[in-house]
Amino acid sequence: MTQDLLPGTLYMMVLRTLAAGPLHGYAIARRIQDASRGGLQIEDGSLYPALNRMLVKGWLKAEWGTSENNRRARFYRLTPDGRKQLERETSDFDQLIKSIQLVMRSA
Amino acid sequence: MFGEIIRKFVHLTRRARFEEDFDAEVQFHLETRIADLQSEGLSKEEAIGRARREFGPRARASEETRSAWNFAWLEQTRSDVRFALRSFARRKSFALAAILCLAIGISANVLIFSLVNGVLLRDLPYPQAERLTSVRFSPPNQSDQKLGSNSGTYFFVRDHSDLFEKTGAIRITGFSVSPEAKGETPPEWIQGAWTSTGMTAVMGVEPILGRWYADEPNPDLVISYRLWKRMYHGALDIVGKKIYLDSIPSNIVGVAPEGFQTMNPDIDLWRPQPDRNLANALRSPNRVFFMFGRLKPGISVRQAQARLSALEPGLGQEFEMNRDWGIRIESLHDAYVGYMRRPLLVLQGAVFLLLLIACANAASLLLAQAAARQKEFALRVALGSDRIRLIRQLLVENTVLSLAGGALGTAIAWFGVQAVLRTAFAATHAVKDVSLDSRVLAFTFAISLGTGLVFGVLPSMQVSRSALMNAVRESGRSLTASASSSRLRGAFVVAQVALALVLLTGSGLLIRTLIRLNTTDTGLNPRNIAVIQVPFSRTFYSGANRQSPTGGLLVLFDGRFDALSERVRERLEQVPGVQHATAAVTPPLGGAPRQVQFSRPGVNISQSEQGIWSAEWYPVSASYFETLEIPLKQGRAIDSRDHQKTQPVAMINDAMAREFFPNQDPIGQQIQLDVVDDLPRQIVGIVGNVRQDRYQTRPQPQVYVPRTQLPSFMDMTMSFEILVPSFIVRTSGDPSAVMPALRAALHDVSPALPVSSIRTVEEYAAGQLQDVRQYATLLSLFGGISVVLALTGIFGVMVNTVSQRTNEIGIRVALGATAGDVLKLVIGQGLRLILAGLTLGIAIAFVATPAIGSFLWGVRANDPFTFAVAAAGLAGIALLACYLPALRALRVQPVVALRNE
Repeated sequence: MTQDLLPGTLYMMVLRTLAAGPLHGYAIARRIQDASRGGLQIEDGSLYPALNRMLVKGWLKAEWGTSENNRRARFYRLTPDGRKQLERETSDFDQLIKSIQLVMRSA
Repeated sequence: MFGEIIRKFVHLTRRARFEEDFDAEVQFHLETRIADLQSEGLSKEEAIGRARREFGPRARASEETRSAWNFAWLEQTRSDVRFALRSFARRKSFALAAILCLAIGISANVLIFSLVNGVLLRDLPYPQAERLTSVRFSPPNQSDQKLGSNSGTYFFVRDHSDLFEKTGAIRITGFSVSPEAKGETPPEWIQGAWTSTGMTAVMGVEPILGRWYADEPNPDLVISYRLWKRMYHGALDIVGKKIYLDSIPSNIVGVAPEGFQTMNPDIDLWRPQPDRNLANALRSPNRVFFMFGRLKPGISVRQAQARLSALEPGLGQEFEMNRDWGIRIESLHDAYVGYMRRPLLVLQGAVFLLLLIACANAASLLLAQAAARQKEFALRVALGSDRIRLIRQLLVENTVLSLAGGALGTAIAWFGVQAVLRTAFAATHAVKDVSLDSRVLAFTFAISLGTGLVFGVLPSMQVSRSALMNAVRESGRSLTASASSSRLRGAFVVAQVALALVLLTGSGLLIRTLIRLNTTDTGLNPRNIAVIQVPFSRTFYSGANRQSPTGGLLVLFDGRFDALSERVRERLEQVPGVQHATAAVTPPLGGAPRQVQFSRPGVNISQSEQGIWSAEWYPVSASYFETLEIPLKQGRAIDSRDHQKTQPVAMINDAMAREFFPNQDPIGQQIQLDVVDDLPRQIVGIVGNVRQDRYQTRPQPQVYVPRTQLPSFMDMTMSFEILVPSFIVRTSGDPSAVMPALRAALHDVSPALPVSSIRTVEEYAAGQLQDVRQYATLLSLFGGISVVLALTGIFGVMVNTVSQRTNEIGIRVALGATAGDVLKLVIGQGLRLILAGLTLGIAIAFVATPAIGSFLWGVRANDPFTFAVAAAGLAGIALLACYLPALRALRVQPVVALRNE
């Protein structure tokens, strides 16, 4: 699935991507790929289970709308809970990266 | 967390939509990607291929997305259940034995709970039925006895308390009814109720057809649902029809709902008796009224009782005869079924013990199984399964077993319920609404789950612990596990024996009661006697009313009554096969008759003794004692020489002679009965005691008077009894053979005579024992089942022990142990368990049996004999269950045992 990613980072990236506004699944996949400049090995298909798990947790809401090419598409947007989660994860992640960097430099 | 569960549940309802949506979403993703790639310059085929590659396997995405919404524990449980079923398929005989065991225990519980539910837990079918109450009265120092009201007490309670929103009273009486004025068929004798003003409004229900009658005097009446079905075959145009009561036409204005009940479940019609007449007729000392009250909202029965208790002194002041009487209020529900609460709860307790015994058996089976599964568990632990995971799996297995047991048990209980509904118990106690309804099924589910936990937890913990230990050990062979599991199984045997002994003792006490009741002499010869109750019409007393000194209404009997009575008696005597015929009021052995107070002219009775000077009162015809073979002890019997114009006479029984004429000869003495217009009577004879009510612990004083010497004016409530004479015939052979001829003979005398019943005296006698017999039967059935379960438990444990100790026994035999030594070794172990169980059981039974104390007669709740017989009997068969496996131990060959190693 996303074995090349740190656990939970896909959630964080999706939350971050959606922070700017609602997007449909395809757009989320493209944003993540583009932003990472193709550096992440994520199958597009694995995005959907993650989105659904986040729906269950109540971080996202989904509703049907019309895409830029005039087709019916499912749009995801952050809930207040999702926004809080993003903040939490971002600071945790920063902390983690800092810690790892400290270890890497000293060793 | 909570939000997640809700979202998952909401999702459950949209499952089908979700699948479609997901497909559409993926389709959109792929098509958009393909279009984007094409616009980047790829060919259509290349674009499709790349988009699919980037997406990955579509099936996996869809599977994982679906599982995001699943309840994890549900999935886990499902796989555990699948595993359990596969495991049971390999161990069919174990699974079947365990399920059967649990099914027996659970079915008994479901059966009894369905009775508890149908009888005790069901609300009465009236609006706000919890506010409906019955008010009765208890004599001085007899607070457990509850009698009806007389009108004085009824009006007093109604007018002196502000507890009730509505009140009413009924008086139960018999009516001879017929749908036609003069028809071919004899009229039917039914029970009916006169209702006071306001009574129809108390219950708060309307007739299902028509309406209630008005309160003022009128010939309108309402019939029961049952009578409507029986006599009118449920005709819908019933309202407005005539019905003939004692040949006088009345109007049917309504049909009461099915199950509508005012005190007595056999009442088939209700008619108005306005308060004016009530006050007139009801000031008699006889407490023939039942008072009903609908409490005001917010007043509890307990509060009402406190307020009514405060009224008691006032009641005694207003009516001398109510001095020191108590006023008892209870909910109508309690008044109707309260007396069944204790027997049913005792039975529920008994079947609960039975279930515990069954649980012990199932647990013991599990432990035996566990020994065989040690390797499987060890392997699973080695493969990384933790203890919690293992316990979980085992508990799921047990729950599957107990639910299967519950399902089978419910099926068995269904047959049990059908059987109970067919018994006489159901008929006499109006038990109808017993079924496996949702409440019973919920109970079944709960006890099945509970059962799975109870019998499963100990073995599971034990098994999982030893599995962990064995995983560490090299060989799959386990010694410690069997040692501690043997201890546990031993404890189960002790518990089983103890509980079985409790049930056995309880049923033993009831059986002893039955034997006592059956073998104690009744004082008459009940064989070959038929009793025909023939209600005479009210037309035999005239309307020339007179008031009694106490204010009650008196009615005048004319000579026609005696003439008809004698004609019937003579005609019955002519029926072939009839040896004697006589007439009386109370059917022999048909329950205690009316008591009358009496005095002895010239003997002063102190105020406090007045109540004690009373005796059972029997108006009888000539040859009564001859017919029933009641022994004449002294003097002469009542015969045809005693009539209206001769000296009034009476006969008394031994008990009365002993108690009230100590050290004197009663013959020739005078007594004055407290019956209106009765003259002083001379005692002419003494007869043996008759145990009319079989539960009486000592002989009651009894006085017999010639029917022909009764006063012409009778208290109306007494006249009612006299209007239903019991003709008693002794036949030379089986009385049921002559019953048709007896019926025909009555028809000969007058086609208008209704026959309310023909029964033998033995049937009356058996009728009195019916409840205790059925109670004893049920408890003995449960006791028997519990013994069988306990025996299989002991047997299983002993077989297991012998097979585990085969090596040891082999070595002992090789070292020179004799057969006796081996038997002693094996049986000794069983005996220790059994003795421990019996000791524990006796202790529990000692505490538990007083619960059935009120059903016992002639035997105490801790009767040493019953305890000893039950314990000895159980010990005997339990030892047998040890002996058979022990024989197997005898056959152990030393070589075989050693080779086993």
